[in-house]
Amino acid sequence: MVTIFFFIFAVTALVSAVLMITYKNPVYSALFLILTFFSLAGMYFLLEAQFIAIVQIIVYAGAIMVLFLFVMMLLNLRQETRLPIGRPFQVALGSIFALILLIQLFFIVKVGLTVSKFGAFPPEKINKIGSVQVIGGELFTNYLFPFEAASILLLVGIIGAIILGRKKLPNEM
Amino acid sequence: MDLSLPVIHIQSIYPQMILVLFAIIVVILPLFVHNLKRELLALISVVGLVLAYFSLINLWGQNLTGFNGMIVGDNFSIAFSIIFLVGAFLAVLLSLNTVENEYLNYSDFYSMLLFALVGLLMMVSSTNLLVIFIGLEILSISLYVLAGIRKMRVDSIEASLKYFLLGAFATGFLLYGIALLYGASGSIDLVEIGKYIQANGFSGTFILAGAAMLLIGLSFKAAFVPFHMWTPDVYQGAPTPVTAFMSAGVKGAALAVLLRFVWTIAPLSKADWTIAIWIIAFLTMTVGNVVAIAQSNVKRMLAYSSIAHAGYLLVGVLAGSQLGQASIMYYLLVYTMMNLGAFGVISYLGNSNKQENLNLRDYRGLGFKHPFAGLAMAIFMFSLAGVPPTGGFVGKFYLFNSAIQAGYLWLVIFGVMNSVISAYYYLRVVVNLYMHEPEKEVAVPKASLGLSFALLIAMVAVLQMGIMSSSYFEFFRQAVIAMP
Amino acid sequence: MLDYVWLVPLFPLLGVIFNTIFGWKLKEKVVGIIGSTTIGLSLLVSILLLLDLLKLPEHHKIFELTLFKWIAAGSFAAEIGFQIDPLSVIMMLVVTGVSFVIHIYSIGYMHGDRGFNRFFIFMNLFVFAMLLLVMANNFLLMFVGWEGVGLCSYLLIGFWYEDNNNADAGKKAFIVNRIGDFGFLLGIFLIFTTFGTIDFTDVFHKAAVNFHVGDGTMVAIALLLFIGAVGKSAQLPLYVWLPDAMAGPTPVSALIHAATMVTAGVYMIARTNVIYTLAPAALMVVAIVGALTAIYAATIGITQFDIKKVLAYSTISQIGYMILACGVGAYSAGIFHLMTHAFFKACLFLGAGSVMHAMSNNTDIRIMGGLRKYMPATFWTFLLATLAISGIPGFSGFFSKDEILWQSFSSSYGNFWLWILGAVAAGITAFYMFRLVFVTFYGKLRADEEIARHVHESPKTMTVSLWILAGLSVIGGFIGIPAIFGGGNRFEHFLEPVFEKSAAIRESAMAVHGYAVEQGHSLEWTLMGIVFAIVLLGIGLAYLMYIKKTDLPGLVSRRIKPVYQLVFNKYYVDEIYNALVVQPIKNVSDYLLWKFVDVKLIDGTVNGTGYLVRFAGRSLRTIQTGFVQNYALVFILGVVLLLLYVVFI
Repeated sequence: MVTIFFFIFAVTALVSAVLMITYKNPVYSALFLILTFFSLAGMYFLLEAQFIAIVQIIVYAGAIMVLFLFVMMLLNLRQETRLPIGRPFQVALGSIFALILLIQLFFIVKVGLTVSKFGAFPPEKINKIGSVQVIGGELFTNYLFPFEAASILLLVGIIGAIILGRKKLPNEM
Repeated sequence: MDLSLPVIHIQSIYPQMILVLFAIIVVILPLFVHNLKRELLALISVVGLVLAYFSLINLWGQNLTGFNGMIVGDNFSIAFSIIFLVGAFLAVLLSLNTVENEYLNYSDFYSMLLFALVGLLMMVSSTNLLVIFIGLEILSISLYVLAGIRKMRVDSIEASLKYFLLGAFATGFLLYGIALLYGASGSIDLVEIGKYIQANGFSGTFILAGAAMLLIGLSFKAAFVPFHMWTPDVYQGAPTPVTAFMSAGVKGAALAVLLRFVWTIAPLSKADWTIAIWIIAFLTMTVGNVVAIAQSNVKRMLAYSSIAHAGYLLVGVLAGSQLGQASIMYYLLVYTMMNLGAFGVISYLGNSNKQENLNLRDYRGLGFKHPFAGLAMAIFMFSLAGVPPTGGFVGKFYLFNSAIQAGYLWLVIFGVMNSVISAYYYLRVVVNLYMHEPEKEVAVPKASLGLSFALLIAMVAVLQMGIMSSSYFEFFRQAVIAMP
Repeated sequence: MLDYVWLVPLFPLLGVIFNTIFGWKLKEKVVGIIGSTTIGLSLLVSILLLLDLLKLPEHHKIFELTLFKWIAAGSFAAEIGFQIDPLSVIMMLVVTGVSFVIHIYSIGYMHGDRGFNRFFIFMNLFVFAMLLLVMANNFLLMFVGWEGVGLCSYLLIGFWYEDNNNADAGKKAFIVNRIGDFGFLLGIFLIFTTFGTIDFTDVFHKAAVNFHVGDGTMVAIALLLFIGAVGKSAQLPLYVWLPDAMAGPTPVSALIHAATMVTAGVYMIARTNVIYTLAPAALMVVAIVGALTAIYAATIGITQFDIKKVLAYSTISQIGYMILACGVGAYSAGIFHLMTHAFFKACLFLGAGSVMHAMSNNTDIRIMGGLRKYMPATFWTFLLATLAISGIPGFSGFFSKDEILWQSFSSSYGNFWLWILGAVAAGITAFYMFRLVFVTFYGKLRADEEIARHVHESPKTMTVSLWILAGLSVIGGFIGIPAIFGGGNRFEHFLEPVFEKSAAIRESAMAVHGYAVEQGHSLEWTLMGIVFAIVLLGIGLAYLMYIKKTDLPGLVSRRIKPVYQLVFNKYYVDEIYNALVVQPIKNVSDYLLWKFVDVKLIDGTVNGTGYLVRFAGRSLRTIQTGFVQNYALVFILGVVLLLLYVVFI
């Protein structure tokens, strides 16, 4: 049962990701991106990580995508103007490398561990305590520092976006 | 579920906290105080750097771990952090130059520089891959912004965008590597991963591929061949102080993480890995130096030269000994000094009539018209080329010596050969400085006090490290004494 | 006094610092006096050191002083320390003595030059580096001096950078020397890995105790070090930079490219004599290179018309003698010739400088002639030095050269062929030197009116220096009169402690292989007579061709035109190097690695250099279509290969 669902979600995620980058209309692209996010959320559910699945939907599919769509509508983007990807031989070379890499990755996963080692929180334990509680507990104890550091990362991102996005320099205002 | 708070040891992150605080102050202050002089902003940043320095020194020898092992305040991390602080300090001084004024918003610049520094410090002071990754991202985002901070200029934006695209690309590999390592060992802490590897051997596709991808991600940051392609474009397009800071700082952080990583997968000396690193080091040195010969743009030449220097540093990693680690730190400090100094002269020259004067020809006859800048540039070039009695010579000697003691004679031979090649293009700068008549009038206004000060510091340090190296080296020996 | 040896290099360094900071604003005279005085003080201290050393008992004439620890990395340690023994004291005296004279000369010679101050800074810096080289007590510090003198040499060759050729000559010198340095540095590394130390005393002690004659490692070390010596001392095949180096001011040619720096290779071999003695195979290479260089450069000297070029090839040839001496194990003879050569060659170069001074800086001897009348002081000193270099009995060059030739025949490493090469080279030397004297100072002045009107004797500061050096060229040999003249060779005796280990090694090696036949004095007399006859023949031939029948040279050169052309063009070595080495490297970098890989393959689109100035839209376009993808492509290639290697192999 789980396997069937996994394949459904996986194929959906892949197909919609490919469609997202091939569609020329940015709105369609955005919608396919949402679909990808949803399928990923589904996979998280299969992995019994309900909280992350929910967060995935709320934050990405909800908030971020809405922001994207707003921006697109504000900018009134209809058709993306495309430039050629590159010279044919470059494309060919790129495809070959990508293919080799894919094969390599396939082998790495296939030949590698079939049963991977569990971390400190195997699913049974999580289910006993509750996913939200575990994450919350970890975030505010063991992972307190990365948690705070991530906030600095976001701060840097915000300030950086303002710096690059701001049209005039403050001393010109 | 019972929660127990881990031991925090808040002082272990004082340096980072101070830097974040000052970064925020620098970016907010102009909103309240109008017409702030950039010198004042620089001064505030320097105060932050000095405070951070003292809080670091305070941690020296204590070997604190904070936040349940997320932060490791060992001497290793402190020594690297100090090198980065020195680099940032010089970069702040370099930025006090008149021409950049038109393009640069100083409060943004300093705050991003300080944030980048926070990222660097975070990277070196943890064994947890999650923290290292967050540090790397803080660093990267700040650098993307810094590279593109001269928004009026196309090449600056181009540099930023290229760096961003390829950086994101490389980050993908880094993350994938971390995921693979976690998948195999069940931990994202290098110490735990190390234990797993000790128990199960350095084998299994997950571990091997994870390690390789981690190496790839770090190689991108350190500009090892063949992950170096972005370097010349980005270095050339970014504002000179940023380039200077990047070339030393980012390389250092990537190497520090690489070093930590190398001794978690302890059996480096046995694994086939050494050959991979050997080849990368060889390629990095050779490609960097040989291509640099063909450059006529000084900034681009220094970009390729910085690739070559990354290769020299990697030789120290390969040595896999405390000696190698201390040599890397030593060389990194010298490199910070001489490279920032060289970029300082470039930014000094780039100070006339909105022209950057980056071509070698622009340096003709400069040695006589600007004796101080000329002398400084000559010393930095000699040091980069590894001519005694400069620090560059001694540093290279330490590195090669550590590699020889580890048995990598051939790599050292190639390394020495490379430094012979490099002498050619570094020397060309000196030739142009002193042995040609100036071709055109390069009107350069008087150097700002900050810049002259930075050049003076760098010059004295380069010479001092060349002549009295053992006290510096002893310091770095202390820094790695606890390391495997 | 011995505790104050650090004063010797300190004085020139102080001169450098003082003139760098204040010299730009001071008068020429002050700068010159400061520059010379500092060297004079060093000379004074060196003399005191010599006196101290002479007082010490015979086998304790070694004194070491460590200033501070310089490099300490693991088992590796190097210090800033000096070793004072007979060898280094002699070198110090030669360096400070000759450079003191040349500094004084330069005050007159460089008068009015734009770069007067710069000149003295570089010269003092050179003396400092050279002293470091000869005083160091370990290989690494010696290497620092070694690089330092190379650097100064390069700076001074390109001193008159207005002429592009000069800057190129400087660059050539530096790069060729880097090849030598490369060998030297590898040699040091090998020494360290073999002995675990780079301190002279320890290395030589360990070498003598732990290694047998003919050990492979010793041969490797000796050959690597010899590469360094070949580069610095301008021997075959790396001599090409020295003739070009004459582009520098003449005092520089005299000091650096004749008297001191170029002989550093000889000093280095003498210093590491223990290692060389343990490696007879390397010694043979050294001897052959030396002998071949001696005759090779001498033949080129015959055909040159540039007064300084003749002297340059003569220098190469004479250093060939010194190297030959080292190669046959006659280290003290090599050092002896080094010293006498420093005197007479410095004198010759300064004389040439004086001539150029008079001839409005022309160096072509074809427009000179008859200068004897106009500048007697220059003529007489030049003549004395020429007699010395030609090896006329009684002059300094005779004693040292004779010693070398005799050793190259009679030493257990020597043989007849080495001797005959040396002897013929001596004849050629006499020929081209007298050719130079006759063409320059005899006959009629061939210069045009304008130049002829300005011909004059040089100022006092210059002629005084000439006389001092000429005097030394005459009497300098008397401290080392060989036993055959009943002199007991005090010079060799003084140097004995430095070479005693080598002597012991050779002694024991011979005990195994049997002693070489003890050559009698009569043979030595005979050989000396033959050499003297060859020298006289050379002089006579020069007299015949350039005084008696002045149309003869043209006739000869026409008769043997192909040979003459070959020699005149210096055997086309420069052209060969250019075609075989320089161009290929340049092409690889320029076309293959940069233009092709970097620009064409990777930058992909139009051209790599111009994109900086493109407009915004086009630039963005290139980002989207051109570069980044290609960068990523290379990146992925790296990923694929690395994964392939790490995971799958």
